[in-house]
Amino acid sequence: MSDIKTSVSLYSLQYEYLTKRMSLKDILKYMHDLHVDGVEVLPDQMIHGAPEPSEETLKNWHDWIKEYNLDLSCIDVFLNTDLYKNRTLTLKEDIKLMKKEIDDANKLGYKTVRMISMTPPEVVPYVLPYAEKLGITLTLELHAGLSWGVPATEKYLKMMKEIDSPYLGITVDTGIFCRRIPRVMSEYWKKVTGVSQETIDWCNSFFDRGEDVARYGFNPTSEFKAGEKKYGKTPADKMYITYAQGYENKPLSIMDDYLKYIKHFHFKLYEMTDKGEEYSINYHEIMDYLHEKGYKGYVSTEYEGNRFVLPGHPMIEKEQVKAHVEMMRKEIARVEAK
Amino acid sequence: MFDNNVFIKGTCHNFKTADEVKGFELQTNITYYRGIPLSMVHDFNVWVDGVKVDPDQLQFSVDGKEWFTKDELTTVSDIKWEYGEPATIRVNVDGGLSGKHRIKLNIVTVTAYIPVPLSGFKEYEVDFSK
Repeated sequence: MSDIKTSVSLYSLQYEYLTKRMSLKDILKYMHDLHVDGVEVLPDQMIHGAPEPSEETLKNWHDWIKEYNLDLSCIDVFLNTDLYKNRTLTLKEDIKLMKKEIDDANKLGYKTVRMISMTPPEVVPYVLPYAEKLGITLTLELHAGLSWGVPATEKYLKMMKEIDSPYLGITVDTGIFCRRIPRVMSEYWKKVTGVSQETIDWCNSFFDRGEDVARYGFNPTSEFKAGEKKYGKTPADKMYITYAQGYENKPLSIMDDYLKYIKHFHFKLYEMTDKGEEYSINYHEIMDYLHEKGYKGYVSTEYEGNRFVLPGHPMIEKEQVKAHVEMMRKEIARVEAK
Repeated sequence: MFDNNVFIKGTCHNFKTADEVKGFELQTNITYYRGIPLSMVHDFNVWVDGVKVDPDQLQFSVDGKEWFTKDELTTVSDIKWEYGEPATIRVNVDGGLSGKHRIKLNIVTVTAYIPVPLSGFKEYEVDFSK
């Protein structure tokens, strides 16, 4: 097997699952048909009763993983810190919930856990020894809009370096490396909510000059605030500007100081074009970087264009995922032949 | 966002309790990509022909057995609304509805890391005489 291994996050097929066109078993079979090395799952999405699934659910899971000869890449866990409307959970409550998630990961057979962005870093020192004993690595997701430069994330990164455990790291989501805003996203907002082209163009102009909207979200300049006022006239325009902060345009070199901590990648997919490329993210550039830096691990397709399929249009999750996996495989072969 | 998850077409009809029509109900998927405890469902609203239904008439259930008002949902942290499993919303109105009406549903969930609530809307015309 190659150093860089393929994986698909089952998140990518969430509408096939939601509409019951595909069951979890069907989806795992599809993964087998695509010859991916590993599968990633969100227990809250497709494992009923998570984080405390029944014995039957667990048995089915292990039977199917074996039947379809799949490896397990990463499990994506959440922490419901806003479980109650009138208060945020206490640290003790957070720790208890996170231990349940780690137990669930262990029962499902996973060795790498992705903690959602903004997971309170204070939790980590209390649950890390627990994870280590089970041979489980904890990673915080660095996701566009909530990545480097965001105070809660920086706090985690500092702590991670101080603790410096082989069982503590990060999962990088390549939505951080968008060179333009996904056009499927803009088209959806334009046609469904009536966002004006002017607002879309304004958000795109940041990318045209090598920036992004996200960097101004947390640290708005007076110029940015004036732009928000000018281009955020309607609630839909305002919302579009907020959602445009979910795509960052960072250089790959931002990972240079973190290579040993990167345990997993979400290879974000918004739209595979007819040319077999991702519209916003240059995977050629990313694969060159990963090969050069000697990354060993999974790169996991995470399709999110499903959210932007226009009403009345067919869902294309299976086709998009297939095209992305084929592109990844081609890229892995290309860099490994160097 | 997640509008496509809201109000499953063809699920809206009158319901009976002890042989009496006590209102109408409809089904919906969650406005999120994962299951969450019911206490994180922050709001649900129904409109009939553009008029918002009094929240006191609404009830919510994920199993059709245990029903909660909007206010009661805020403390239900042990029951999960699973992704891919529709919830049922009941509008308690004696005699239900008859004829054709435009029924609109809104579902609002929250999550810790997205700064805005996840709200979705959907409206369908429903023929209650069928």
